[in-house]
Amino acid sequence: MAGLATAFGSGAMTNSINEIEEAELILVAGSNTTEAHPQVGRRILQAVDRGARLIVIDPRLTALAARAHVHLALRPGTDIPLLNGMMRCMLDDNLADDLFIEMRTENFHALRDMLYRLDLDQVAAATGVELQSIRRAARLYAKARKAVLCYCLGVTQHVCGTANVETYANLALLAGKLEKEHTGVDPLRGQNNVQGACDMGALPGVLPGYQSVHDLAARGKFEAAWRTPLPAEPGLSLLDMTHGGPEGPVRGMLVVGENPMLSDPDLARVEETLRSLDCLAVSDIFLTETAALADVVFPAACFAEKTGTFTSSERRVQMVRQAVAPPGECRGDGDLVMALAGRMGVPFADASPAEVMEEIALLTPLYGGIYHDRLEEGWGLQWPCPDRSHPGTPFLHKGAFTRGRGRFVPTVHVPPAEQPDGDFPFTLITGRVYHHYHTGTMTRRCAALDRECREAVLEMNGGDAAALAIRAGERVRLVSRRGSLTLRAAVTGRMGPGQVYTSFHFTEAAVNRLLGAARDPSSHCPEYKVCAVRVEKVA
Amino acid sequence: METRYLLRKDHLLPLLRRLQKGHRLVAPARNRHGDTFYAEVRDLDRFHLDLDTPPQESAKRFFLPQQEVLFTYRTDGPEGYGFSPVVAPSPPTVYFGLRPCDLTAILYTDLVLLKERRDPGYQRRRQEAVLIALGCSRPRASCFCNATKSGPFLDFGYDLQLTDLGDRFFVEVGRARGRQLVEDWHPFFAEAGEEDVKAQYQVALEAAGSFERSVDLDLAVRALADHGGSDALWAELASRCQGCGGCAFLCPTCTCYTLRDQCLGPSHGERLRCWDACTLAGFTRMAGGHNPADPGRDVLRRRFEHKLRDSVRQHGRPSCVGCGRCVGSCFGGVDMLMAIERLAGEAEPPEEGV
Repeated sequence: MAGLATAFGSGAMTNSINEIEEAELILVAGSNTTEAHPQVGRRILQAVDRGARLIVIDPRLTALAARAHVHLALRPGTDIPLLNGMMRCMLDDNLADDLFIEMRTENFHALRDMLYRLDLDQVAAATGVELQSIRRAARLYAKARKAVLCYCLGVTQHVCGTANVETYANLALLAGKLEKEHTGVDPLRGQNNVQGACDMGALPGVLPGYQSVHDLAARGKFEAAWRTPLPAEPGLSLLDMTHGGPEGPVRGMLVVGENPMLSDPDLARVEETLRSLDCLAVSDIFLTETAALADVVFPAACFAEKTGTFTSSERRVQMVRQAVAPPGECRGDGDLVMALAGRMGVPFADASPAEVMEEIALLTPLYGGIYHDRLEEGWGLQWPCPDRSHPGTPFLHKGAFTRGRGRFVPTVHVPPAEQPDGDFPFTLITGRVYHHYHTGTMTRRCAALDRECREAVLEMNGGDAAALAIRAGERVRLVSRRGSLTLRAAVTGRMGPGQVYTSFHFTEAAVNRLLGAARDPSSHCPEYKVCAVRVEKVA
Repeated sequence: METRYLLRKDHLLPLLRRLQKGHRLVAPARNRHGDTFYAEVRDLDRFHLDLDTPPQESAKRFFLPQQEVLFTYRTDGPEGYGFSPVVAPSPPTVYFGLRPCDLTAILYTDLVLLKERRDPGYQRRRQEAVLIALGCSRPRASCFCNATKSGPFLDFGYDLQLTDLGDRFFVEVGRARGRQLVEDWHPFFAEAGEEDVKAQYQVALEAAGSFERSVDLDLAVRALADHGGSDALWAELASRCQGCGGCAFLCPTCTCYTLRDQCLGPSHGERLRCWDACTLAGFTRMAGGHNPADPGRDVLRRRFEHKLRDSVRQHGRPSCVGCGRCVGSCFGGVDMLMAIERLAGEAEPPEEGV
């Protein structure tokens, strides 16, 4: 988010998902797309069937990587040297888009100077990728007429996540792969409405529509509409709150549809913090691990029981219509907030979901023309949509970047916070599996999905397993500096030597107990993708 | 030859209204989002009958519900542990506007579920069904029922078959229930003349010529029967399958199910029968974790071998009816069309001189 906002002025997919089908080259970075985003993955497969070239940057041999024309199996956390290496190759081969750089970008000289100081042999050594493959990927990407770059959490969940994103943005700017249909930079969002939550200001430093709290005019507008003074400084990030500890800055917390007791790193610290709060309230559709610690639990309405909108990865705002009434005492999020406000002595005017949408349109230029009645027919609207007559925007930055010129931000390698060593010789990568969603609050309660995937497994390379005398299916203990857990080993060709992988869906093997609290200084996103561990046989 | 009739479109709703008095009526309806499904007609005047778009799902769920309670149990009954079968009502039902592929699928399912050990629920629902087909004048892009010999118009199997001739339907009578229906409501039906027969023939001819895809199903079936698909082919298909089960759930002839006991309280519960799919790993995985079907190799082989080889051996025809629904739904693009094309491709001898 922060990285793309710096480079382009807007932190969202620049293309629509359907445009991927028509691309001639697709670069997928840090995304197991066919499992985590099957609807995007199917379009990538279709494009490749039609002859598109596929480059995959991923330490694991994912299904897409196995199909890729070039698979750059980098050492985890070395995206920046790899990408800088690709860009240097583009300069050496005279493949940079000079006209685009001249007309549409700024700060190119800083990037160029940095790239010319780069030693490509060091790049190959640091990333573990052969120079020849890096050069091939650079040529394929730069020469394609229509090139889409998709990235996901394998890029962002590092201590240098923001710098990683800036580096991918540099690559696209250098090759001029932006501002066009079927061509752009596309972060894939992992949840149906995480884009919408960000759009509505569920971030520490911005009001709805990415209007900064530092922007006096924007803040004034919201203060006038809401008839209350608003904080002039950004709030706390998630980990500032859930890792605050007994002396932390937050004393009371309302957690809505989120399960930090499974999803946040260093769970022991999270538990200590939540238990020490004066008041913890949780609103969710099932009694999650977090809700189990709460003083008050609000039963929430699920998607089928409420009316409103979801905003997808491709900035598409779509209606969600109530199909059935919420059971028992369950209530929608809006109802709950309004009732709470009333009890806290600040009664909100009773507002229907359509009225809330009108307020969003009034105060948020990106959503300026989006009203419920316009969403009734058709397939929603893609922001920016400034007024009622605007048809929405399938791809961003046409003609000019949102911030004016695209900005090159030279970046240097930041090693992961924890490197493997003698005591903890493996690099643990965490992620997701096909059958489960996030902390499994819903999917683990579904009999068919439970039958498909019942427990966490530790994926490891055959050579590593043999060296430790571990057989496939055997229970092993996974140990980090912060804790240990046992789970079943799966011996697979997907993993490189020295790397192991597991998912975070399972409370019985909650891998976030093992992870540290290292995070990106700008986005505050934790480093979920690298942790030093050792693997032991269970006696 | 059986007499052919005409039904003026003006008279369609009045006829359906009369049929509805003695029957439940199921017909294709367009919902407010523009999607067409077979649906039960409650209020005919507010029902958006859609005879132009082939429905997105087959009529399978009306005969085999996605979830069906087979029996309930109590542990504290008068004689201790007791079971009571659950018989869901199966009212006489007219299925109006069934596409030929969907009707053929019902006839195929009869072979599976009514031939030897009869499935009581299916049998009840099937006995009460009147099947009125609507021939497909305009096949969709993914349709290939011409290859599976299940459309766009049927030669037999229907009670009545309708052909859209613009302002009127051409009506063919297939089975006794259809004949009875025409006799019961005779004033609605006029005898068709020579011109109408010609017009119907023209529509059927144009429909048969308007398929966008042309696949050689017979060649694929023969290739599979003779030497099976190559390992490379099955590995490629398996690598693209995500194991979502969507193809089987949408398939009009897939009838595999699983059983689940659902506890409803400390001393009672019910046994459910639910749709299942052979592409799911849990379909064959053993309690100890071993899966005799290797997901990396066998997951789609089993599906296509069943559809195109085993069904032919057991029932004399492939269990694909060419509806093309799996074509649009698969994340990996490994649908029946792709399988047929790849299998047929392997059957052909290599070109000379290459």
